[in-house]
Amino acid sequence: MKEKSNAFFTIAFLSSIIFIFTIVDFFHGDRVFSETENRVLATKPKFSVQELFFGNYTSDYEKYVTDQFVGRDKWIYIKTETDILLQKKTINGVYLGAGNYLIEQHLPQDYPAELEDGKLVLLERLVTEWDATVMLVPTADNVITDKLPSYAPYYDETALLERVAEMAGERCVDVYSILKEHSSEDIYYRTDHHWTSLGVYYGYQAWAETVGEEPYPYDVEGMVTVSEDFLGTLHSKINIDRAGDRLQYFPETTVHQPHITYDQMKESESYYEESYLETKNKYGFFLDDNHALVEIDTGYQNGKTLFVLKDSYANSLIPLLAPHYEKIYVVDLRYFNGRLFGLMEQYEPKKGMDVLVLYNCIHFLEEFNYLP
Amino acid sequence: MVFSSVLFLFRFLPIFMICYFLAPGRMKNFILFLGSLFFYAWGEPIYVVLMLFSTVVDYVNGRLIERCRGSRKAVLPLIASVVINLGLLGFFKYADFLIQTVNTLAGTALPLLELGLPIGISFYTFQTMSYTIDVYRGEAKVQKNILDFGVYVAMFPQLIAGPIVKYREVEERLHNRHMDVVAISHGLKRFCMGMAKKVLLANNLGALWTEISVQNYQSMSMMTAWLGMLAFAFQIYFDFSGYSDMAIGLGEILGFHFPENFNYPYISASITEFWRRWHISLGSWFREYVYIPLGGNRKGLPRQLFNILIVWMLTGIWHGAGWNFLLWGLWFACLLVLEKMFLGRVLSWFPRVVGILYTCAAVLIGWVLFELATLGDILSYLRAMVGTSGFLDANAFYLGREYLVLLVIGAVASTPIPKKLAIRLERSKTGLCMAIFRLGEKIIPAALLLLCIAGIVDDSYNPFLYFRF
Repeated sequence: MKEKSNAFFTIAFLSSIIFIFTIVDFFHGDRVFSETENRVLATKPKFSVQELFFGNYTSDYEKYVTDQFVGRDKWIYIKTETDILLQKKTINGVYLGAGNYLIEQHLPQDYPAELEDGKLVLLERLVTEWDATVMLVPTADNVITDKLPSYAPYYDETALLERVAEMAGERCVDVYSILKEHSSEDIYYRTDHHWTSLGVYYGYQAWAETVGEEPYPYDVEGMVTVSEDFLGTLHSKINIDRAGDRLQYFPETTVHQPHITYDQMKESESYYEESYLETKNKYGFFLDDNHALVEIDTGYQNGKTLFVLKDSYANSLIPLLAPHYEKIYVVDLRYFNGRLFGLMEQYEPKKGMDVLVLYNCIHFLEEFNYLP
Repeated sequence: MVFSSVLFLFRFLPIFMICYFLAPGRMKNFILFLGSLFFYAWGEPIYVVLMLFSTVVDYVNGRLIERCRGSRKAVLPLIASVVINLGLLGFFKYADFLIQTVNTLAGTALPLLELGLPIGISFYTFQTMSYTIDVYRGEAKVQKNILDFGVYVAMFPQLIAGPIVKYREVEERLHNRHMDVVAISHGLKRFCMGMAKKVLLANNLGALWTEISVQNYQSMSMMTAWLGMLAFAFQIYFDFSGYSDMAIGLGEILGFHFPENFNYPYISASITEFWRRWHISLGSWFREYVYIPLGGNRKGLPRQLFNILIVWMLTGIWHGAGWNFLLWGLWFACLLVLEKMFLGRVLSWFPRVVGILYTCAAVLIGWVLFELATLGDILSYLRAMVGTSGFLDANAFYLGREYLVLLVIGAVASTPIPKKLAIRLERSKTGLCMAIFRLGEKIIPAALLLLCIAGIVDDSYNPFLYFRF
């Protein structure tokens, strides 16, 4: 009898887990958007015989049920915390580094030499035909290497940078050395894959030295903090409790009011868009996130023009370049489908403008692509 | 539908169980049959027809055998059953493999059929064959009720990944089973533990193998290579045995008693023992319907060795249509033959741990053949395992450290130690031990179930980083 009542209790206890979550989930309304995952969640698929037999009705329905399951974010949190408890240092392609650094993982096997070859050919044309300056920024794993978990594998970018230096010669900006020199400072965000405004500052110094410009006296001490709780892309990937990063900019960049046109539509009088500070994507504060084409009148009058091919690492650096140019054109090749050289000639038929290729090494390998 | 999904746990399972337990006696089979069809059709809305076809064919063959009982004609429906089942299996599972082989050998360019493999076909065809063969041999009674027979074939717990239940093992329970709270509570616990094996151990250790499997085998260090196979060995064991545990547990909840499928295979001290502990229901199927009819060990040693060769080639190819599976079966056949001839005796001179190490090494090498599809990959991986590219590197250190805790948990969980501990607690009868046991047997499966849900939901975690750049 005692055995039976014990068994009965076990049944009640275990099945109540299933039944309680089933009932709660059933009456729990659907969410349209997940803030943590930053995406639209699956919705209930429409049933039809056609979809059932020849479409994806059943798998769509499963996606819907899983996406909308009650307490979704909490479950994911539990899973991550369990992994950490099991002493895992890599979660969802992010290293849990020392000093509370989250560092994006780039495995050596994902970046073979052939990939480098192809990108270098494209880059070389810009260097030889347009006299482009090349500025490839190493990612955090290559600079704050001491923060990585012990023995953590990473794609070593120095070989790529050496090849670029060899090809571009004096047109190559050595960002790696200066960042490495300052690797103990906060030059990368702890929760995001971008470089901080301090990192940008050092990058700017290296640029000025290479192109032979007198660097504008930006004051590192005087940077203005606009957010203390920036939780970036790497945080989104693992979703655990972390202190936010500080987002800063140089107030000197607002001395001359620029006139900016985004994608030939939206106009702005500032490099900085405060509306992004209210969202998860706070890095979008710099140059209004990403656009195919940004045209900037810097307000400085020296008749010089700069044409930038870039990834998002450039968004926080471009305002610092303003004192050196009257006009800056910025193209993000991921959103641009036309012929690049045609576009460039449209802006500067005599090929007299300065051209800058600015990427981090990984985005350069993954995203740098164009039709000449 | 798979067990480790939100859909199964929080839609199918609760609704089905309510219907099943509310239904009066005779209706239970009807509910179980309908539920099982829904379960199967969810993933295979077209191939469900194939399963029903197989069911009807073997139901009819069983009746025909019974009708012709005593006359020589009884063998005809038996042959029909075997031919049809093997025909289905051959057509859907092996046709492309054969076409490819012919193309390679003869240089032809016959087009492939490219049919998807119907889920569970390897399991249910073997089950229904066991029925007709047993009826023919007089070891099982013919089933006159097509619904009861349909329940046997389609029953969702073991339908898609075994164990392969022989008809006579459930014959009695098909029409005579009662609710037993002790069995149900046992089944529930078993289900949770099986789920934990699959979601918490197999999936997470599988991630280690996934990480290693994409690396370059030519430059892989010895430690990394062994670590990779160890991870795969845990993955396949916890995946498969976890699924069997869930099936057996669900069976107990429904009032059935399925045969055990795994008995701690990784503590075996010989390959002979390994195959008595690994995928037992498949081993016993081949033993009963192939090995013994071929003469087993009763016709002299050479014949026995030949029989072993045949059975393990079939076992290999059953796991998948590919040459590597055949190779995998042959590898074990060779080891079994060696053990029969002298190796078994040699091993018995040493302490058991020597046998265990030999078996583990042999099984891990076997898994290389099983998991890697091309001969080139197999050879370069085996070369890495003997250390042609160095003994140890940073990568092995990193992965070893990263997965150390999970590997230790996996190693302990593949031995009977946890179970023995629980039994000792239960039997000690002192108040405290009993209390710990009573509490543990509820809390542990519950906690593991919650972690499994976290794992299942996390699987679909897909942060969209449009602001990545």
